[in-house]
Amino acid sequence: MTLFHFFNCAILTFGPHAVYYSATPLSEYDTLGTSVKAAVVYLATALVKLVCLATFLQVSETEVFDPYQEALKAMIGFIDVAGLYFALAQLTHRNISQNHKFQAVGLGWAFADSVLHRLAPLWVGARGLEFTWDYVLQGLEANANLVFTISLAALGSLMWLRKNKPKTLIPIIYTCAVIIATMPSITSYLRRVMGWHFPKVVGFELMTSLVMAFISCQLFILCQRPSL
Amino acid sequence: MGDEKKSKQRDGSMVFESMYPLLALMLILVACVDLCDAATVVDVYRLVQYDISGVPFGSRFSSLNHHAASLSFHRGADLSRSVLILPLRELDLGFLQDYISQKQSLGGLLILLPQTLRPGNNIVLSETQRFRKLLAQLENLLVHANIPFPVYFAFENEETDAMLADVKKNDALGQQATATTGGYKLVISVSEPRKIASPTITNIQGWLPGSRAEGDSNQLPTIAIVASYDTFGAAPALSVGSESNGSGVVALLEVARLFSTLYSNPKTRGRYNLLFALTSGGPYNYEGTQKWLKSLDQRMRESIDYAICLNSVGSWDNELLVHVSKPPDNAYIKQIFEGFSNVAEDLGFQVALKHKKINISNSRVAWEHEQFSRLRVTAATLSELSTPPELLESAGSLSDTRQLVHEDAIIKGVKLVAESLARHIYGHQRKDIKIFADDSSLAVNPFNVRSWLDLLSQTPRVAPYLSKSEPLITALKKELEDYTAEVSVQHESLDGIFTFYDSTKASLNIYQVASVTFDLLLLLVLGSYLIVLFSFLVITTRGVDDLISLFRRPPSRKVKMV
Repeated sequence: MTLFHFFNCAILTFGPHAVYYSATPLSEYDTLGTSVKAAVVYLATALVKLVCLATFLQVSETEVFDPYQEALKAMIGFIDVAGLYFALAQLTHRNISQNHKFQAVGLGWAFADSVLHRLAPLWVGARGLEFTWDYVLQGLEANANLVFTISLAALGSLMWLRKNKPKTLIPIIYTCAVIIATMPSITSYLRRVMGWHFPKVVGFELMTSLVMAFISCQLFILCQRPSL
Repeated sequence: MGDEKKSKQRDGSMVFESMYPLLALMLILVACVDLCDAATVVDVYRLVQYDISGVPFGSRFSSLNHHAASLSFHRGADLSRSVLILPLRELDLGFLQDYISQKQSLGGLLILLPQTLRPGNNIVLSETQRFRKLLAQLENLLVHANIPFPVYFAFENEETDAMLADVKKNDALGQQATATTGGYKLVISVSEPRKIASPTITNIQGWLPGSRAEGDSNQLPTIAIVASYDTFGAAPALSVGSESNGSGVVALLEVARLFSTLYSNPKTRGRYNLLFALTSGGPYNYEGTQKWLKSLDQRMRESIDYAICLNSVGSWDNELLVHVSKPPDNAYIKQIFEGFSNVAEDLGFQVALKHKKINISNSRVAWEHEQFSRLRVTAATLSELSTPPELLESAGSLSDTRQLVHEDAIIKGVKLVAESLARHIYGHQRKDIKIFADDSSLAVNPFNVRSWLDLLSQTPRVAPYLSKSEPLITALKKELEDYTAEVSVQHESLDGIFTFYDSTKASLNIYQVASVTFDLLLLLVLGSYLIVLFSFLVITTRGVDDLISLFRRPPSRKVKMV
């Protein structure tokens, strides 16, 4: 609904990424290069996912929740995790501490995700005269996605970059990572089988993202203690 | 080396410069992509716009871009930038009349008609009769007024009902829809209406020759049966005119079919030629009929014994009227009327004779037979209307839909015309013979009547908006070709005092818009959210001191510079 609304939704969708970069020490250590590299890796991962989805998935006419299709989608979703691993572990970054590395990678990853998935609908849809809440909800979803990605990057860095972790915490780390990675499947299950409307789904995502962020934060701090 | 570098730089900048216009074009294109993504799109039909001798009538504008308002607005509120939505069910004719006569400005008017009045909808409800009357009065008011804002008709559906309920609720609370308070926006984007350059009227005639006796070289006498097929109503895209004059056209086609069967056998061919004519331009003083008559060969015109014009024969019960312009004691008129009344008696209803003198100085032609009488041809009009219709009245208005017509009435009319013609042609004037009896091979076919009536009741037929190759005209021509020996189509241009304007149908987009205050509020909320997020992140990752230091400029520097 008019350019004003487009501007509002744009700052809701992309603002937090810029704020995160400038507010945390990331900007002091100039980690922009890392974020850009992470964004490029995300692009490549998205292409690979697209090809796999097109090859293996059947298009169903109705909005029926087919468990096999959803399982297949979840497995293809793990390509995401592989991409994140590549960005965290394999790419050469400048000498930045692990703390900032996962944040920068997560930020770049989430920003690329928002741009690819949300910019085009926003540009095409939010400028019309008709007013809907869809684009505001989409912006909130982008915020939740940012938190999810950073938590996943934190857990990923714990899994692959830190060698000495307390044994008891390892299963918790892996379960949390699996939950975050299968978030898309969970939301589509909620939307189709349980019939939740978009606002409810977005609320659920926001809450879960905060919970997951808290858990990953705690895990990170716990794992940080021995290496001191 | 320096030159190489410079030329490379120049090439690079040239490439860059040549991309500038492309870039600018792309930016402009991207910015101008105007997508129509309304939640609701409704078909709307515009009020007719026409001039009589330069005097404007009807709605003079067509494009619309305003907020919606309903009748529950506060008296005295300014509606000049709103579209008033009026359902026919709650129409207050007095209010509208005052509004128009006091020339108060209005952004637009949208009249919602009940679905039962839609052409093609044959459901009959008890309240439809009341709507029909109200609609006829409304049409009369709108067609004869000069309205300086767009007026559109639409049919009610769930979406318009929901929108109207919402608008009424908001209006009752006093929050009229404007740019700052949100609501619904109605947009019709069409170009301004233009004059129709030279509207054509098309007359279709079918000629069924009689049999000439051996050695008889005189011209056979002719009997003409005429009906005008075009309509005029408040919304030209909805004027289907089932009664006026769809019923007349159907009756003419059925009579033509019966006589074509009779005349196909040389033994039963009568000694009269039959001339069937479907004329256009009926509502405009029967201009088409006049032009058609003038185009006829003089000998042909003089050979016409008499002409029967059919006008509105679809919803009568017991009495059909024969209108004439020659005095009733004229021998020919007496003969014609006696023929009708004998047949009517046999069939169980009555006919009555009505005489109306022609006033040569008055250009108004109320009945089709008057055009014949002006050229010295005996003619009469069979109609159920008792009073001569005024200009543009009873010409197929919006309330004239299929449910108004009974097939039985048309069938009775067909029998009346066919039997009296046959008795005259074959000389059985006073004999009690039924030529077109039911269950015979010459019976009136009710299915034919019904199918043509249904077709005509779904085809709007306002003459200036019909092209020369309109499918309806082709269909009528083909039908007459099946029944008669020779068919000719005559295209004339509708000159004279009438001028018509185009743009009769459009699509209405209904947008639900939020107000500017909502946008500002949202901006405020988002701004504070981002600021809170920023402070939260700074505090958790760098400490509170960093946050405070962001706002306080370090004072020591100034001292240093001094």
